[in-house]
Amino acid sequence: MTSRNIGIMRYNPEQDKKPHTESYQVEADDNTSVLDALQQVQQQDPSLSFRWSCRMAICGSCGVMVNSVPKLGCQTFLRDYPDSLVISPLSNFAVEKDLIVDMEPFLEHLSAIKPWLINSEQSTVPHVQTPQQLARYQQFANCINCGLCYSACPQFGLNPEFRGPAALALAHRYNLDSRDLGKAERMPQLNAKDGVWTCTFVGFCSEVCPKKVDPAAAINQGKVESAKDMILSVFKSSGVR
Amino acid sequence: MLQLDMDIIVVGGGGAGLRAAIAAAEVSPSIKIALVSKVYPMRSHTVAAEGGAAAVTSDDDSLQSHFYDTVAGSDWLADQNVVEFFVQHAYQELVQLERWGCPWSRKSDGTVQVRRFGGMKTERTWFAADKTGFHILHTLFQTSLKYPAIKRFDEYFVLDLLVVEQQVAGVLAIRYSTGELVQLRAKSVILATGGAGRVFHYNTNSGIVTGDGMALALRHGVALRDMEFVQYHPTGLPGSGILITEACRGEGGILLNKDGYRYLQDYGLGPETPLGEPRNKYMELGPRDRLSQAFWQQQKLGLTGDYQGHAVVYLDLRHLGEKHLNERLPLICELAKDYVNVDPAKTPIPIRPAVHYTMGGIMTNVDCETSINGLFAIGECASVGLHGANRLGSNSLTELLVFGKVAGEKAAGTALQKNGISHHAFATQIAEQEAALAALHGHNSDDSLVAVRTGMTLAMEQGCGIYRDEEGMQRCLEQLHELNTRYTQLKVVDHGKVYNSALLQHLELGFGLDVAMTICSSALARTESRGAHQRTDDGMGTRNDGEFLQHTVAVRQVDGSVGIHWQPVSVTSLPPGQRLYGDANTSNTAEDKS
Amino acid sequence: MPSHNNSRRPYLPAFRRDWWLQLRFYQLYMLREATVLPLLFFISCLIYGLYSLSQGESQWLKWLDFMARPWVVALNVLTLAASLFHAKTFFELFPRVMPLAPPSLMIAVQWLATVVVAGGFVVLLGAWV
Repeated sequence: MTSRNIGIMRYNPEQDKKPHTESYQVEADDNTSVLDALQQVQQQDPSLSFRWSCRMAICGSCGVMVNSVPKLGCQTFLRDYPDSLVISPLSNFAVEKDLIVDMEPFLEHLSAIKPWLINSEQSTVPHVQTPQQLARYQQFANCINCGLCYSACPQFGLNPEFRGPAALALAHRYNLDSRDLGKAERMPQLNAKDGVWTCTFVGFCSEVCPKKVDPAAAINQGKVESAKDMILSVFKSSGVR
Repeated sequence: MLQLDMDIIVVGGGGAGLRAAIAAAEVSPSIKIALVSKVYPMRSHTVAAEGGAAAVTSDDDSLQSHFYDTVAGSDWLADQNVVEFFVQHAYQELVQLERWGCPWSRKSDGTVQVRRFGGMKTERTWFAADKTGFHILHTLFQTSLKYPAIKRFDEYFVLDLLVVEQQVAGVLAIRYSTGELVQLRAKSVILATGGAGRVFHYNTNSGIVTGDGMALALRHGVALRDMEFVQYHPTGLPGSGILITEACRGEGGILLNKDGYRYLQDYGLGPETPLGEPRNKYMELGPRDRLSQAFWQQQKLGLTGDYQGHAVVYLDLRHLGEKHLNERLPLICELAKDYVNVDPAKTPIPIRPAVHYTMGGIMTNVDCETSINGLFAIGECASVGLHGANRLGSNSLTELLVFGKVAGEKAAGTALQKNGISHHAFATQIAEQEAALAALHGHNSDDSLVAVRTGMTLAMEQGCGIYRDEEGMQRCLEQLHELNTRYTQLKVVDHGKVYNSALLQHLELGFGLDVAMTICSSALARTESRGAHQRTDDGMGTRNDGEFLQHTVAVRQVDGSVGIHWQPVSVTSLPPGQRLYGDANTSNTAEDKS
Repeated sequence: MPSHNNSRRPYLPAFRRDWWLQLRFYQLYMLREATVLPLLFFISCLIYGLYSLSQGESQWLKWLDFMARPWVVALNVLTLAASLFHAKTFFELFPRVMPLAPPSLMIAVQWLATVVVAGGFVVLLGAWV
């Protein structure tokens, strides 16, 4: 264990006008994660607030910016930041207190794309789905809703109405599922002004994704689907005339 | 104060809570359901379950066999009427989840694949890679979004139940984001708050698993049953306790001591199975309590290795090959690399037992009803009578679904029939809670929340660990009383309203201390060894069905101490027998068919 | 949820106009997008060449002379480099948008196609000259 310095962005809405960085001493060895360090600081100063729970990178609670890059605190280690380390709240979300941000916009976007299996068939037996059919969407079903991709996305930063990487990837996940029949219900969201076409394939969302979901790929595959959908609708409407 | 009228309140947004909310919403779309959770539902601890969910699936399996494995696994302390109900409804619940989109792993013909699991005689564990809990939770959460009847209260912390004359009337909660008190009134309340693993020092549990619901019920006179039975998972990572799933052993992983010897054959689990040919109920696929106890014995013999000061044994997966590991156990590969810097394809993973699951909980009947009218409990916070003295891996994920559905439907039925209680009836109770909260703020001189909490977790680890004795537990109980006294003098040093995590941690510690006290008191009362409760005192080393084929029922006394009563176990078809694994079990097959 | 006495005061900093300077990843993204600028210059040259061709020999020789100026050559070399960089990023992104085959194979095929097409042009041009 050696002692080292870290910076943490603090913001107390009941006292501060805006966030500021404070410096703290923590004890660290090779296995000390950013989350461990935050817990040490909280023992010195119980007023420090941050979200965490599982400590094993599956619950998605502890997203923070580490030196301006979105990371899960539990999966990021001090050993990889020998020089300086500053922990701040996730970008592109409003800061509530210290490292806690307002996740409500994220949840609204997530709910908007109808992220559930749409198939009205009633049955008491499982669907048949081959491993190949499963593999088509499996990667996109691994999203833990940590929100790191929204902090990595400049388009979301510029336009908070953009549905964003995780929501659009989830829409794509259900659209690709062989058991789902709800694509037609989801396409309007993808085609809309704040849907897939807002994405310019910056690609940083996929770079920071802790579960290798590759939302950028999902969105851009969604653009192909959206283009097909729009061309089809042109044909359909001209057929009616 | 915010006041809202609902029909049903579900406390806890994990697998059980979500399943219950959906079941209630399906009863009637006009019913008003509040899903109250101290974290966003997808952060709940269900997310961390790795291995799978059990249900009789293949043609060569039978309900009797699942029943037998569960009852034997429970060391005959499971209520057999409950187990019967459970095994009958398990399959349909897993199918329901499939119909909602859960990405279960498949066989090449597109049917659902099942895997081996510890203590289960046949392959009957459904899985979604090694992220089963994650997929179940997200499937349920996403499905819940389509029901307008379910109104979510994310990041609301329940402080107290509102109860009038043995009739539940709602909950009192703190809205974490603003610090406001919120009064939620309803005709039914379902507790689905999860376990209490965090009262122990080394555990596989998320930070939120602090026993809140158990303590909420206990404080209103509801009994906690079988609290002495705390499951150690044999394979946690040293230090952090992060879970390395039992599925590793189901896939063929083996356990080695520091000399590379498969020590389990010395503890009634042999003979040694050939490498790459795991066999149900043999060796590494024995039940969790036996495996954790074998570790303790090896440690006493000095045969465990060392990882940064922690005694460890080794989980060897090398013979499975990199490709198979990445396909079937991707999360484990990630966790091993991140947290102990080991590539499982090249090096055995250092592991040690860590507290994993609380078998006991809020006492309910098979309909999930507690002793308070309109109050239900489900999932790990409840003791419906399924797990007895030892839970079999992959029974609890199915439990969430089976009993979540029961409670949701029952609660909806109750809510539709009943009239609400006049809220004047609990005005005093709320005023008292408000005053108590206000009195919490202040400064501590030389004590701290962390000191008291660490004191509790260490006391429990030492006094109520894998092996227990009278002296150790008495000392533990005394320490808990002292810690409780210190706790009542503690103040919350952060006086803010917005996201005051110090306040929440303070309240959680209070809940945890109550639960710890019932665990220790129940363990002291059971002067035999059964399942996860093993005593080293003279004459208590074996199971004693004559006296103890009974549940402990812990009730809070007027003076705050815990009183223990006994309740007979329901035995319908399987009289107590020997609990045997490995070759010793083969002579036992006649009983399997009973 | 309506609330009576709310102490919340969420702080959302204005999105920085210079966001793309903050991280190397963003800088490379902007570089990728900026490859269109030298390409515009190259296309202007081409249009100017076609116009010159239509105006007779003296104008055509003037254009050739213009194209040989060092700064024009330099800019066109820059255009070639920018196009190759853009092609590299495009070829790497394409398999993620249209996952038809393993990414490394798709990248290799795209480069191969580029070499074949470019080589074809060189051969045709050589034959014509």
